[in-house]
Amino acid sequence: MKYLAIDTTTKVSGLALAEDGRLVGEGFLHTAKTHSERLVPLLDQLLRAAGWGLRDLNFIGVVRGPGSFTGIRIGIASAQGLAGVLKLPLLGVLSLDALAWAGWGRKEEIVPILDARKNEWYAARYRWLADGRLKALSPPRAVSPAVLVGELKGMDGPFVFVGDAVEKYCDFVCRELGEQAILLPDYLGLPRGAFAAQALWQKWRENPRTRGGGIPGEDEERVEPYYIRLSEAEVNWARRHGGGGDG
Amino acid sequence: MSYGEIKQSDAGLLILGIETSCDETAAAVLKNGTELLSHVISSQITTHQKYGGVVPEIASREHLLHFQQVVEKAMAGAKVDYGDLAAIAVTYGPGLVGSLLVGVAGAKAIAYAAGVPLIGVNHLEAHIYANFLVHPHLVFPCLALLVSGGHTHLILLRGHGDYEVLGRTRDDAAGEALDKVARTLGLGYPGGPQVQKAAAAGNAAAFDFPRAMLEPGSLDFSFSGMKSAVLNALNTARMKGINLGVPDLAASFQQAVVDVLVRKTLLAVEQTGVTHVLLAGGVAANDLLRKTLTQELKEREGRLFFPPPHLCTDNGAMVASAGYHRYLARDFAPWTLNAVPGLNLT
Ligand SMILES: [Zn+2]
Repeated sequence: MKYLAIDTTTKVSGLALAEDGRLVGEGFLHTAKTHSERLVPLLDQLLRAAGWGLRDLNFIGVVRGPGSFTGIRIGIASAQGLAGVLKLPLLGVLSLDALAWAGWGRKEEIVPILDARKNEWYAARYRWLADGRLKALSPPRAVSPAVLVGELKGMDGPFVFVGDAVEKYCDFVCRELGEQAILLPDYLGLPRGAFAAQALWQKWRENPRTRGGGIPGEDEERVEPYYIRLSEAEVNWARRHGGGGDG
Repeated sequence: MSYGEIKQSDAGLLILGIETSCDETAAAVLKNGTELLSHVISSQITTHQKYGGVVPEIASREHLLHFQQVVEKAMAGAKVDYGDLAAIAVTYGPGLVGSLLVGVAGAKAIAYAAGVPLIGVNHLEAHIYANFLVHPHLVFPCLALLVSGGHTHLILLRGHGDYEVLGRTRDDAAGEALDKVARTLGLGYPGGPQVQKAAAAGNAAAFDFPRAMLEPGSLDFSFSGMKSAVLNALNTARMKGINLGVPDLAASFQQAVVDVLVRKTLLAVEQTGVTHVLLAGGVAANDLLRKTLTQELKEREGRLFFPPPHLCTDNGAMVASAGYHRYLARDFAPWTLNAVPGLNLT
């Protein structure tokens, strides 16, 4: 099973070509350019370098959020465009699930944190079990650093932090959690196509609807964007009309 | 990219046009520049209505929700395969950046996977090119009056892709002024059609709203003073407890807008000596504007061209039409094409 993994949910454009969970080629760009400018050129280079054609692919996978709203949309629109023309199944995984693979096999809890702006993180907690499975300990949410770190203080650590918020909040996390915090540097802890490729392979194998090749148009699920947050206009409208919370 | 030869399958020269610059997700397949094989629009108007206007983040989300379905419907409706396409044309500006990016990313992926060239289309150019769908034998030079919710431009067209902007609005676009007045009069959104409907029962001479002509010879527009005059008339009347008739206000305001648009267009005709004029954009569907300009141009041995109403508002067919002419000129976009929200017509 050959497949392409796309992750554009942060400032990193991450692509990977993989076969049966084995990484074959990877593209990683963390530059000032936009996903829109980088994505297809990077894909083109990667395919050429690997000696693969788009027609070799058996499915396409995309990271569907949480993360940058625009990034999520560029990833999904691109993946849908490719899958639609090539008539391939399309799979989606969550950004935080994919990032948990940055801490594969570690005994500590893995805490992916993505910069959600407005002084919040998109975060979740995971643990790698002894049998090699990944267990989600808490669902993805938008949370302030103070609240999450406050919660972690009352728990047994240490915690391995990964994600694009690590650099900016490094001092804060170290100050609050001291030796309970292990912060992975950029080259180990930023989103990558390779992590997405692993999460996708896991999903492909576990999903009976797509296992065995998948019948295009029948077996694929619809890949929905996962924003977590409503748009500001919706939040304000709900507030004004007695809806109350952030939904 | 090298796409030397014209790709003409048995099905003809096919262009898929994609439009997501504002609040319509649209796609269309165009054959040989004039034959519309399919034409799909998913409108978000009802989604944005409760917010009183287009909310950019919600628009972007809606585009992504409908993009693939709209494109697939257009392809299925045209009964063609992606491999039959000669090129894919997509609006890359001006417009809302988040909305544009959904179309640009999707179009790029489709073009790359189908192995066909990508064409970046200017949204304003696309509106003008709606005319070529129904009047393929238009000759240059001609003038274009582009009037929509976001734009009011007078443009001289010397040839395909060869433009000179002669004048533009310095404040509100004509359609924007119509929207604001419609909202104040309680007529709803979008304003243009609502004002036209209300005006039908009104007296266009009931109020004498100002027609801003700016400095002598200028082809620029200004609608904010006119809009304020309507709002002031309403407020003054309300304070005095007088009830001004909505039909009269709508008719008088519509007349003032049309008067300015017509006078400036005729001034451009006079200055350039070009007598063929194209109407484009949502406000081009306005009956009074069409009738008045048709009549005035006839008297000057000129002629007015306009698209049918359903091709005046945002759609994929106009993008495919502009794309068709860029295809003939081999004007393709690189894979690095980005959305340009403030794209100008040059
Ligand atoms: Zn438009």
